[in-house]
Amino acid sequence: MLSDSLRVTTAHDLIAQEMAALDERRWDDWLSLYDPQCEFWMPMWRDEETLTEDPQRELSHIYYRSRAGLEDRVLRIKSRQSASSLPLPRTAHAAGWVIAEPTSDADALVVRNSWSCHVFLPSTHESVVLFGLSRYEFSRGEGSWRIQRRKIRLDSEYIPTMADFYCL
Amino acid sequence: MSYTDETWPVDDAVDQGRFRVHARIYSDPKILDQEMAWIFERTWGFLGVASQVAKPHDFLTTRLGRTNVLVTRGADGLLRGFVNACRHKGALLTRLESGRRRTHSCPYHGWAFDSSGKNVLVKDVECGAYGAAFHQESHDLVPLARFEEYKGLLFGSLNPDVPPLAEFLGEARPLLDLALEQGPNGMEVVPGRSVYTYRGNWKLQMDNGMDFYHLTSTHSAFMDLVQRRDGSRQGNTDARQFDWRQRLTQVGGAFGFRYGHAAIWLEQPQPEKRPLWPVIDELRSRVGETRARWMLKLRNMTIFPNLQIADSTSLILRTFRPIRPDLTEMRAYCLAPIGEAPEQRAWRLRQFEDFFNPSGLATSDDTVVYEDCQRGASPHLGWLQGFSRGMASMSEAPNAEAEELGMKPAACVKGPFKLQNEVVYHPAYREWLRLMRAGEANLPAYQIASEATC
Repeated sequence: MLSDSLRVTTAHDLIAQEMAALDERRWDDWLSLYDPQCEFWMPMWRDEETLTEDPQRELSHIYYRSRAGLEDRVLRIKSRQSASSLPLPRTAHAAGWVIAEPTSDADALVVRNSWSCHVFLPSTHESVVLFGLSRYEFSRGEGSWRIQRRKIRLDSEYIPTMADFYCL
Repeated sequence: MSYTDETWPVDDAVDQGRFRVHARIYSDPKILDQEMAWIFERTWGFLGVASQVAKPHDFLTTRLGRTNVLVTRGADGLLRGFVNACRHKGALLTRLESGRRRTHSCPYHGWAFDSSGKNVLVKDVECGAYGAAFHQESHDLVPLARFEEYKGLLFGSLNPDVPPLAEFLGEARPLLDLALEQGPNGMEVVPGRSVYTYRGNWKLQMDNGMDFYHLTSTHSAFMDLVQRRDGSRQGNTDARQFDWRQRLTQVGGAFGFRYGHAAIWLEQPQPEKRPLWPVIDELRSRVGETRARWMLKLRNMTIFPNLQIADSTSLILRTFRPIRPDLTEMRAYCLAPIGEAPEQRAWRLRQFEDFFNPSGLATSDDTVVYEDCQRGASPHLGWLQGFSRGMASMSEAPNAEAEELGMKPAACVKGPFKLQNEVVYHPAYREWLRLMRAGEANLPAYQIASEATC
């Protein structure tokens, strides 16, 4: 069983690994942080104050019940045929607070965090910031942790032009 | 330059095989001011969907041109549209985009209005030592000059002299009905909406919403993903996306209508990918074989000036609002039959999210290309040449497709997908020019009386 502080330290490190993989454009490393059966979900806002809660009945920005959807997105970037990522925006993620939720499973880690991502668009010389909260569920198998579930709350949802996985 | 110059900035000479739009139309700040005054504030504008304000006291807020609008359903069940501002000092009455309120209290001095727009409180009125004139004035919310509903779509106008909504939508109504009558209990906006901006002119979205020609170039990366999903069952197969390469071999066309509306259509080779497919028998028995078949086709339409309904991938309703000549706000909603079965609803959502939205795999490429257009289309570029495809295959007489839908469009085009017609843009720019000329000449936007007599 991990102590609370060790949970937070471990989660901090795992989240930093994800952010670094995105900012350093190591797309395959980023994908490998996710379990093939992961859920990746960024709900939409219903209005100013409430998020959609049921991805089967309400709209999401992104909802994937496996890693396959993320693999699509990586392929699209790599193809160099997608105008929205050409030239590729530069990103620098910033990690905020991390809080661990209690769990009795030694091979599970559930945390909530705040995140932000500075995005520079080389094509228009503009910088934007996307930010919000996340909830991660990690699971440990064969000695390494993988993301089993990530739910993203995009707070800056008046979106300038586009928002892809590497901005989140 | 004046809008009455024959070729400025829309050169509408179809009889000579020519239709051109000047690049300046996308970037001139003066033109945007005129569009606000002479188009958005003088035509019907789309406001919202009745399902968003389904119950008494439900409200939504939006804009018509530069005016903030409140749509609210009264205790009597009736929908009304108002200027969203307190009569007292003009503060926004509500800054919420939607909700349910029996009364709206102004956050500034506390005047209150009920859900039918009636003033129910002037705070401390008895101590106010008002003159008699004040009490003789109405303190109720200022109603929109016109407010009407068409099968769940809510429209308003700041101009009292617009034609009745049914006449304004005119011959486009049978096509609208194909989107609005897909459910036996009506249609609803699925909870969740995306709001985004792009650094480009609003007309770039207006054009792109009916643009076949860009699909094989702008969306080639997306098409490749879909091919891979179909070929190797890898990737986001939950989206049950259409095989766009099959679509490219189909027959399609366009309809142009009066008042700037237009639509494109395409035969749909994979009806089984439509979330409507499992209920096709219900559809056929309720709306008939012909219209059920049409509900399965790809159909994208523009109701000028601010509404697009596209049934290309999943059913999307988009509305756009110019902020600056080079900045546009988009709102996108997913429309679905009320009471749709859970399996079909989830299917619809996955299709929608895959393609649309600023986080989707196709829309994001479109919006970035609009920005390229904005940056590229300097006034010095002169006339744009993107309004000519299909010119030689246009007919004014209704074709078989129009006839089977019972429509009399102003123009029809039909041909193989690769025709990728651009004449579908003509009605909007023609109406744009007509309204700008009327505005410049200080004439009414619509010649209502004379139309009624002819």
